[in-house]
Amino acid sequence: MTEQGETGEAITILLVEDDAPTCWRLQDALVKAGYEVRSAGTLAEARSGLGERAPRVLLTDLRLPDGHGVELIRETRRRFPDTEIMVISALGDEESVISAITVGATGYLLKDAFPTDIATTVRDLVAGHSPISASIARFIVRRTQGTAQNAAEPPPGPALNTARLTPREIDILWGIAKGFSYAEIASHLGLSRQTVPGHIKNIYRKLEVHTRSEAVFEAVQQGLIKL
Amino acid sequence: MSDIAAKAPVKPARRRLLVSRLVPYLLLQALILVATILGLRLLQPSDPDDFALSEFSLREDGVARPVTLPHFTSSRYSLADPPLYTGAFTFRRGDVASGWSVFLPRFSNAVEVAINGVVILDSRRDANANRPDRNTPQIGSIPSSLLREGANAITVRLLVWGPLKGFLDTVYVGPDAALRPAYETRTLMFVTLPVVFSAWQSILAVILAIMWLMRRREPVYGVLAVAMVLGVVQAFAPPPVPPVTTSRLAAVLLASAPIESALVVVFGVLFFGWRWPRYGMLLFAPGLVVFSVGLIAGPPLPRILFLVLGIPTVGLCLILMACVTAAAVVRRQDAASFTLGCAVTIVLICWAHDMLSVFEIVTDERIFLSRLSYSAMLVAIGAGLTWRFARALNQVDSFAGQLVTRVSEAEERLKASFAREEERARAAALANERTRLMRDLHDGLGGQLISIVALSERGHEGATITDAARAALKDLRLVIDSMDDIGGDLMLALGSWRERATAQLRPHDIALDWHVATPQGLPLHPELRPWHVIQIVRILDEAVTNAVKHAEARHIAVTIETVDEGQGPYGVIRVADDGKGFANGSALVGSGGAADASQSARGLRNMRSRAARCGATLNLSSDSSGTRVRLQLPQIFPDSDAAVG
Repeated sequence: MTEQGETGEAITILLVEDDAPTCWRLQDALVKAGYEVRSAGTLAEARSGLGERAPRVLLTDLRLPDGHGVELIRETRRRFPDTEIMVISALGDEESVISAITVGATGYLLKDAFPTDIATTVRDLVAGHSPISASIARFIVRRTQGTAQNAAEPPPGPALNTARLTPREIDILWGIAKGFSYAEIASHLGLSRQTVPGHIKNIYRKLEVHTRSEAVFEAVQQGLIKL
Repeated sequence: MSDIAAKAPVKPARRRLLVSRLVPYLLLQALILVATILGLRLLQPSDPDDFALSEFSLREDGVARPVTLPHFTSSRYSLADPPLYTGAFTFRRGDVASGWSVFLPRFSNAVEVAINGVVILDSRRDANANRPDRNTPQIGSIPSSLLREGANAITVRLLVWGPLKGFLDTVYVGPDAALRPAYETRTLMFVTLPVVFSAWQSILAVILAIMWLMRRREPVYGVLAVAMVLGVVQAFAPPPVPPVTTSRLAAVLLASAPIESALVVVFGVLFFGWRWPRYGMLLFAPGLVVFSVGLIAGPPLPRILFLVLGIPTVGLCLILMACVTAAAVVRRQDAASFTLGCAVTIVLICWAHDMLSVFEIVTDERIFLSRLSYSAMLVAIGAGLTWRFARALNQVDSFAGQLVTRVSEAEERLKASFAREEERARAAALANERTRLMRDLHDGLGGQLISIVALSERGHEGATITDAARAALKDLRLVIDSMDDIGGDLMLALGSWRERATAQLRPHDIALDWHVATPQGLPLHPELRPWHVIQIVRILDEAVTNAVKHAEARHIAVTIETVDEGQGPYGVIRVADDGKGFANGSALVGSGGAADASQSARGLRNMRSRAARCGATLNLSSDSSGTRVRLQLPQIFPDSDAAVG
């Protein structure tokens, strides 16, 4: 059984994880699910792995012995826009996940997830469904509140630009934060259940600061820079 | 006994104090008396004795007799046929180039001087000269055409209006250049100086009146201002001269002296901080009597009354004032009372001198000093008060400065203590939070890690260790998750919990039905603290764990709703499973192992104690169709963890 993309080829995954047991565990789960997995233990190895061929999915830890995973994500995003990027998080903590999202990650994977869940998450991601946890949704919506109320000091944690999120997207995030399922959110908001993952993907995309020029554009939009 | 013993030495001590303070003061006053008398003797204006003319012939009531000046005539109330003094002097044209004059240093009440039968001077035209209380001198230059070589006749008609006796001091006739300086000296002392004093007095009256207007609760200033105004009016208002019959004004002016002196006593009493006694108003009675009599009756009655009532009143007031100041000196021993006491003594001496003079006991030149010394005293008092006021202002200034410094110091201290307090509160909050976090980690994670260690050591199956490790991880997530500020919305915490529970149940193939019955889920709890969240989530975890481990359930339903029965909304969370249930733990003994039962019982006990700590109520029912846990949340979560303390 081999997971295949639209082209029929096996889906390739670059797994960057410095902790060997975790790496084995994830690799086992993914290989068992039929993915083609290459693994790297350091940033340098990951870069050389990227050099050979663009993987369909990049799974990376953030704390690496020779650097930070954020750099790898940014680099991959620039070089291979089609690659889906997931960050491996030990506890699903918002800080690391959000900082990864802002540089281009569209999902996250918990290190202790059950093997089936690991495969399912990757499969969903490839299918265009970004996973999002209640705590991350909560983190994002609280940021939208912070900017709306013009809070005197920025809330702790990574900088996050929520200005481009639509009210509907924020409603969806609220639903997720309060533990509603996609179906429940869809019925509450009068949406089709299938469109919710798309909205979430959009949210990820909007939270990403893609390029330098876009960052400048956004800063101007928000009145941070005067031209 | 002890009272008497204590009091006994007090009285002699007070007496000793009185003596030790009063005697030096009285000695000082005696010294002042001597000095004043000496001063009066020494300061007597000197007259040009070379030109003195004292041998006169007085024709009075149709009888002529020789007299020597200075001379008193009897008191009279009619201006008709005044006493006429006739004298002679020798003039030599070659003596001096300048003209000659007649100089009258002192007379009462008025004079009309004629040389060789021609009137050259009538003092009634000089308002100042008409006042018996002023010692106004008069000088009249003699037209040279009137003077004859050799003997010349001089006649002085002395106009007297009672009750004072008429008085004519030595008359001087001589070259104007020789007489003028003596006249100027007397004018300066007895005319100009009182005017200067009166001017001062009027200025001080204005200042004191303003002070009183601004500080109504200090009537001292007002009293003194009134006294001074009276004095000024008396000094500047022209006195009526007989034969003016409507002398209402004279009456008022006459009344001014006793009223003024009474006011000064009032001032003294108030100034030294005593209460003005009600019967003290009697002191104003003589003045008012003189005043009212003056308004009703024509002269000379008011003048007689003034002499009989007014002047003794002035004397009485001065004596009272002297007593008041002496008492103040004994009590206060300060510069103000000493100065005022000495001033009063001087005025009193002058008044006594005037009295002696009036009654011809001291037959000097009949110079009245009371008015002058009184004016000087008032000016001294006014200056003293102004000085005191200025000093008070300075004190206020420095006090204000001190106050500013003190306030800023206090502010600094307050800020510092506030900062300390804040720091301490923050440290306390941090310590509390740290303690809680440590306890939470210890309660959950610690125990689970220990059981992992134990399981590994005993070489247990990997799966058991996995379960324990997963439980530890789950608990760690819970602790971390609870640190996040959820803004009092428990639903946010439950959202995360749902994810974790779903992930936990998926391998066991148990479905988690999630049902939010009310749109908002649970009410908002602004007072919600992380430790409340942890307790509630652990209760739910326990319920789910029981359902999985012991009840072999296939479905777990979580229902969340807000109930409002009219006494405010509260949240209810229900966890129901379709497992085999247990009846108060006893069923478990039969169906499961003893270890299982005790573990389950401990779990239940834990759930109940956690609920109690949050102020929540836990209801649990179990039968063969499943177990239902109902957790009723409090309307307001308790602030402190009662169970831990």
